[in-house]
Amino acid sequence: MAVDIGRFIKAPEYNITIITYRDVFQAAVCEEDRFGSEYQDLSAVIILDAAQMKHMGITEGSNVRLTSKHGSVVVKTRASPQQEQKNIGFMVNSPWSNALVSVDISDGFPGYKHIEVTIAVSKEEITSQR
Amino acid sequence: MSDITTWICTGCALLCEDIQVYTTNGQIEKVEHACIMGKSRLTGCKHTAKPMIDHNDVTVDKAISQAANILKNAHNPVLYGWGNSTSQAQIAGIELARVLNAVIDSTSSFCQGITINEILQGQIPSCTLEEVREKADVILYWGADPMSSHPRHLSRYSYFPRGDMRQHGYEEDRKAIAIDVRQSRTAKICKDMFYRIPPGSDLEFMKALSDALDGKVPKLSFDMDIKRLLELATLLKKCEFGVIFAGLGLVYSIKEDIHILSGLISKLNELSDFSLIPMVGHFNMRGFNHNLFNETGYIHKVKFTDKGPVSGVEYSIIEQLKGNADAILVIGSDPLASLPGALSKRMEDIPLILIDPCENLTTRAADVTIPCIASGIEEGGTAYRMDGEIIELSPFIQSKGMSDEMIIQRIIKEIN
Repeated sequence: MAVDIGRFIKAPEYNITIITYRDVFQAAVCEEDRFGSEYQDLSAVIILDAAQMKHMGITEGSNVRLTSKHGSVVVKTRASPQQEQKNIGFMVNSPWSNALVSVDISDGFPGYKHIEVTIAVSKEEITSQR
Repeated sequence: MSDITTWICTGCALLCEDIQVYTTNGQIEKVEHACIMGKSRLTGCKHTAKPMIDHNDVTVDKAISQAANILKNAHNPVLYGWGNSTSQAQIAGIELARVLNAVIDSTSSFCQGITINEILQGQIPSCTLEEVREKADVILYWGADPMSSHPRHLSRYSYFPRGDMRQHGYEEDRKAIAIDVRQSRTAKICKDMFYRIPPGSDLEFMKALSDALDGKVPKLSFDMDIKRLLELATLLKKCEFGVIFAGLGLVYSIKEDIHILSGLISKLNELSDFSLIPMVGHFNMRGFNHNLFNETGYIHKVKFTDKGPVSGVEYSIIEQLKGNADAILVIGSDPLASLPGALSKRMEDIPLILIDPCENLTTRAADVTIPCIASGIEEGGTAYRMDGEIIELSPFIQSKGMSDEMIIQRIIKEIN
């Protein structure tokens, strides 16, 4: 019987910073059906620089696990159509990005716009909403 | 035959007043002029909220009584949300906070509150969207992407229209500039006037721009052609009527250093005529700040005490959920989806009351859910547009349900 050795090997992790933003299409779907698959499809996504994805061994559309000190989620990857700054990923504001956000703050501003995480290729399914 | 109604859209804080809604027997058949967000707001949610206590169906009356009991017995209740409520509901909520000696806060405490506060305190000049449309020749979107957050912003007010003083429109009379960490949809429209900066470097860029305005050679620690910065400074100096639309990217980058932004705008006003308008999201988030300011002198993060209202970061929703809150009433918001996940557990551990037209993630953790009708669609009132103008809403659907204001008034009555 063949043994899938790959599953015993931990995928390499890279440090990146996530910047969140708003998307009109996701916001519209959220208004109508925040429990639907379309909302998940538009939310549980991280956008990365295409060259950096290649460097990390991440293929377009594959799943990755994002882990911060405050939480961990599995989301899908998408390559940015334009060149992005190095070690930066972009996510739409959603429960998936919020799961990673720090509240170790003293100014009342959670770290929505600057989320430090590790990213690693994952074979797990996309994290579902609670 | 269809009835045609002109509706004021509550999809965002632009409050577009030109939406045409065609209805037959109360059913919406067609919507004209609305953006995708406005249409979604009008269509409504797939999952409407039901009155519930501990996830069991109850009557609305029972749910209201239970909410009143929870709030009355709490030592440190927190009232949170309010951005999707009319001003009348917000004022009722402020009264409820006073009755309970409660903390009251909105999303503005980690959103546009700091810019709105500067405007209300007279530290930053602002203007109306109509003035932008008629007069503005330089429009600066800083950490803002209205094409994604307020889709009709550029077409109705800030860039594309022919204004009284801008008859040649965007082709010749207006310059749009974007300063952002990514090439947003708005930045793409700004083309070569897009200034990409590294995350968190807005203050550095602001100081360099200020130096350039003073005629000094600006310095930047990141890669950007200084000539482009000097060109921007020259453009700002020459402008006749300029507007900065401040987005959350800017707010989150400067936070407590808001005075540096105020200083830059003061400097610009020595050379030209400049205003700032915050890119407020929810349709009446700004109203909460104005209404609370009128009642207490503070715009958010307020705690009512026997000696009067006090305000401070310790009364922000975030700090309250990290510490003192022992009951929370949420109105028109979905904090389990929109607040950091680390606070979800805390929200599940304390009694949670939710008033909303729709089922959302917070419903799943709520001990009491009270459905309300949709503000601005099924219930009238007023709201503050993103520029601070008061707009009379235009409900056009008759509903039997209770508005959020009526629910708050009933809770006050039961507590008293």
